[in-house]
Amino acid sequence: MKAKEITAIVRSLKGVMFTSTGMRDAGQSDYKNRLRIHDLQTLCEHYNETNFFSAECHGGARWHVGVMNRKEGPFEEIRILREKMPNVLLQTLIRETNLWGYRPYSKNVIEYVVERVDIDVWRCFSFLNDVRNMKTVAEVVMKRDKLFEPAISFTQADWTTNEYYLRVTKDIVKLCGGHEHIILCIKDMAGVGSPERIYSLIDAIKQKYPELIIQYHRHATDGLALPAILAAARGGAKIIDVQEDSLTRFYGQAPVLAAHAYLEESGIPVHINADAAEKAVEKVRAWINNYHWAESPFKGFDHTVVKHRMPGGAFPSSFEQAQKGGFLNFMPAILKVMSLFNQIIKYFDVTPGSQITWVTCSGIINLYAKERGEAGVSHIIKLLQKFVEEKKQDFKAMSKEEQAELLTIFANAPGDFKNLILGHYGKLPQGWPNEWVYKSAFGEEWQQKIKERKELSPLDTLPEDDLDKIRKEFDELLNRESTEEEFILYLMHPKDALGLIQFRENYGDSSLVLPTNVWHEGLKHPGDFVEFEHRGMPYCIELVSIGSENDGIIHVVMRINNKTMVHPVETPRVKKTEIKIAKKPNEIGAPIDGTVWRIGNSERGAIHPGDIVHKGEEICNLEAMKMENAVIAPFDAKVLEIAVKLNATIKEGQLLFALEKISLKSN
Amino acid sequence: MNKKIKKVLIANRGVPAFRVIHTCRDRKIETTAVYSTPDRLATHVFLADSAVHIGEAPPIESYLNKERIIDAALKSKSNAIHPGWGFLAENHEFAQMVIDAGLIWIGPPPNVIKSMGDKIQSKKLAAKANVPTIPGVNGVKSAADIEKWMKTEKVKYPIILKASKGGGGKGMVKVSHSKELASAISKASSEAKKAFGDDKLLAEKYIEYGRHIEVQIVADNHGNIIHLFERECTIQRRNQKIIEEAPSPSIDETLRNEICVTAVRLMREIGYVSAGTVEFIFDPDTRKFYFLEVNTRLQVEHGITELITGHDIVRNMIDIAQGEKLKFSQPDIHPNRWALEVRINAEDPKTFNPSFGRISRLQLIPGHSVRVAQGVYEGSEVPPYYDSLIMLIMTSGANRQDAISAMERTLSRNLRIEGIKTLTPLLLSIIRHKAFQTADFSTRFIEEHIDELVSTLDETCVDDELHKIARFVAEVSALGPRNWM
Repeated sequence: MKAKEITAIVRSLKGVMFTSTGMRDAGQSDYKNRLRIHDLQTLCEHYNETNFFSAECHGGARWHVGVMNRKEGPFEEIRILREKMPNVLLQTLIRETNLWGYRPYSKNVIEYVVERVDIDVWRCFSFLNDVRNMKTVAEVVMKRDKLFEPAISFTQADWTTNEYYLRVTKDIVKLCGGHEHIILCIKDMAGVGSPERIYSLIDAIKQKYPELIIQYHRHATDGLALPAILAAARGGAKIIDVQEDSLTRFYGQAPVLAAHAYLEESGIPVHINADAAEKAVEKVRAWINNYHWAESPFKGFDHTVVKHRMPGGAFPSSFEQAQKGGFLNFMPAILKVMSLFNQIIKYFDVTPGSQITWVTCSGIINLYAKERGEAGVSHIIKLLQKFVEEKKQDFKAMSKEEQAELLTIFANAPGDFKNLILGHYGKLPQGWPNEWVYKSAFGEEWQQKIKERKELSPLDTLPEDDLDKIRKEFDELLNRESTEEEFILYLMHPKDALGLIQFRENYGDSSLVLPTNVWHEGLKHPGDFVEFEHRGMPYCIELVSIGSENDGIIHVVMRINNKTMVHPVETPRVKKTEIKIAKKPNEIGAPIDGTVWRIGNSERGAIHPGDIVHKGEEICNLEAMKMENAVIAPFDAKVLEIAVKLNATIKEGQLLFALEKISLKSN
Repeated sequence: MNKKIKKVLIANRGVPAFRVIHTCRDRKIETTAVYSTPDRLATHVFLADSAVHIGEAPPIESYLNKERIIDAALKSKSNAIHPGWGFLAENHEFAQMVIDAGLIWIGPPPNVIKSMGDKIQSKKLAAKANVPTIPGVNGVKSAADIEKWMKTEKVKYPIILKASKGGGGKGMVKVSHSKELASAISKASSEAKKAFGDDKLLAEKYIEYGRHIEVQIVADNHGNIIHLFERECTIQRRNQKIIEEAPSPSIDETLRNEICVTAVRLMREIGYVSAGTVEFIFDPDTRKFYFLEVNTRLQVEHGITELITGHDIVRNMIDIAQGEKLKFSQPDIHPNRWALEVRINAEDPKTFNPSFGRISRLQLIPGHSVRVAQGVYEGSEVPPYYDSLIMLIMTSGANRQDAISAMERTLSRNLRIEGIKTLTPLLLSIIRHKAFQTADFSTRFIEEHIDELVSTLDETCVDDELHKIARFVAEVSALGPRNWM
């Protein structure tokens, strides 16, 4: 269906439709995006009957966490969902120029990627509400006649007035060339909009653009999700984001069955097949208990979110980092600093802004904690409170010592923070921060840095990438030709894409076929088994025994389709014989596995360190299975090091020689 | 002559030992295996009735150690030695030592091995028997010698250098241009020395798009020389055969008759006894064949001849060694099917680099029309010291297409080898290649098609995927949730 046809149908409905975030944001907000497609796909048959407007199942951090942690590819997820719920519009969440990564990509990368992803509804947000940054995504999506859903990042602050949002909306409508073929999303990503505020905002937009379809996306963090969505519907929102009641914890969306009942009772018809929705809710209960390990360590609603504004999608991962980093006890302090920070530097706490805020603020607290303990932590909070709340950010009103201290707090801020205030991500919604912030971040270079600050969108400043060259580098790393999908994964997250490909080469489709308890913890006791189907064939893996560790190896005996096999598993304590691999251009590696039977050649005899060798000269000879393989000097060189001994058994790629290139003139 | 063979020592390992021991078991003849230190638990050791350790890993200390092998035969009360192929199979000194030790040598007479082992002499004998030969020069030491010969006989590049004593592709180097000549000589003579203990070389005109056709001969001590028809061994990599078939798809009945009769004539001329092969290079453009060499031993690919004729060549060798008359004559030989063989070598299928290590998984499901000779087992080690052949797979059918189909079936889903790399994926792409299927090939088939062959190598198999999943389950079961989860 064409974008315009879809919006026309939604517009003609009395009442509202729901978008389910059960397959993306729900899992991101309460389960760190660990909900696996193996389980989520069990909901498909019900989604296919529920009459959702769309299913948000893609994008956001789900992409990266899939590649990095779940070892699932975003493309294979789409294929599975398409096959199992053909009636449902698949929706992604994309971060304008940052796509599904954390930094701005060049225009040609954005075009290449957006053209190649099979998604129906493209919800696109800017953490700066810098609408210019959405241009390329918008153009490609609309050209494909997919539904473009620009989102305005919402927060509740003194400067985020209706007038401000009407300006943003105007920019969006202009960018899209009208408002009939798009849906405007209000993205309340932290769950801070009070019911009155939401009603007022949507009402204001609807008065200006009566035909514009508005979708309200809201997290539940403050505990007020249900009244807020009722207010949104009353204000004129046509689509509301919900998730399965049984998935609901604290930071995701409103529960679908509750929202349905509440809106209907309030006289707002909801176009949904509640029976099918209920079946999906029940289905979740079959597997959700396998994810207790993925839940946020911070439990319960948090109304103080209206101050610190940490988005629902970042909640569990931030707390996890705090736990891993051993500073969970400082979380209240960090949240407090965040609430002050976001008054000094104004943007929206959503990716990548939320990460920048988090790293910057947790960095400040950790530094003070390390140097001066708890006293230091309360000191810095007091200082910032005084500056922001008491002195209303009047830098000169602070004492000399206080000024000096403020000038140190961004000195160790992350590079992304510095890039942000230099305009690398786009324009800040309320203009650039005050000068003292630049002094603090850049010290003596501050004036120079302000001069370099970019006023244009990264779309206009980033040079195009040489895709052929990057693809070639990638193919070389893979040692084979990459597929287009692999290449896109690589463009987004190079290191993690390689990790995923490596994982799949070693462990096949484990991440797709194994049930979650086995995926996460394996088989526990002798006789435990797992049955699954893979590519249409039945399989069974049964544990026979797990041996005790010896020399860093544990032998696991399993019956694989009734055949007993022993798998030696290496623990971190395994002894590894280090083999030096030739890596640099001046290092000569072994072309094959074999034995070194001659160093040098038959004419000149042995070669020693310090000797000069000529281009094309045989410098050693390897033998394997009675075949000889000469190793040839690639250039005129001096031998720096001979890394192997005569008659040694060597592996392919192992370092044989280190050479120093020299030029030998004939006269 | 009345020499009853009671117990045979097989002076070999791997596939050839496997092959010979099986016929001995058919004949109720006891066997002795020999093994080097790394082969202590190898396949062939346990197929035999007894086994003797003969030395350390390097072949020269074990499988080429003549004295130790003869000692092992005497000690194990074996009264005959079969050399298999490779190692000492074409070593006339060893054959003589066996005879001198009072043991029965299951192979041709030492003097015949010697005369045919010398490429130069064998060529002279061939010419004498009116067998067409390729222009060549013997006893080459320097580039100047070769260039002089090329000038006199008007031979142009490419030429090929070979070990005078050689066989099996070792010590063979092709030279396409005069500037490559010097390094080629040094490589060929060094390999010749290493493989055969003699660095003398032979240079020959190289027929670029030739096909390799050879004739299997069996001859007894009573003047009976019979051919078992020909084999086509054109598919080679680095001058080593990897796919063979019988009959040859390259020749018609007239040529077949001519080539076989020529081979018999040569073998009669040189007084051949036992099983042996006359190799020819066939030029499809001129439809002429030239003598290459005589292999004075059982050959790797003899099995396909056995499949099309029904005769057991190893059994014939034993009968002949016992002094018996052949129990059949030429008109009794009726090939009645097509047979194909592939060599499963432990090698990287893209680079042909050798691969060794432990075979962590080996699964083979031979269905109908499949014959297997297996030198390894699941869990065994492929050591780096010896030949890379680990298994032979042969298939047969009423015609060529049937044999190819059976091979494809056997190599694709029914064969899984893990832990080492093997040629299997390449063999599969070759037999699936259109040019192979229409027998449109030359000895350069692989180098000409390598990119195309390599591009079609990958074949994932559901079963392999299962084992990857099992490896993951093993790791997570042993180590608990992984830190990246």
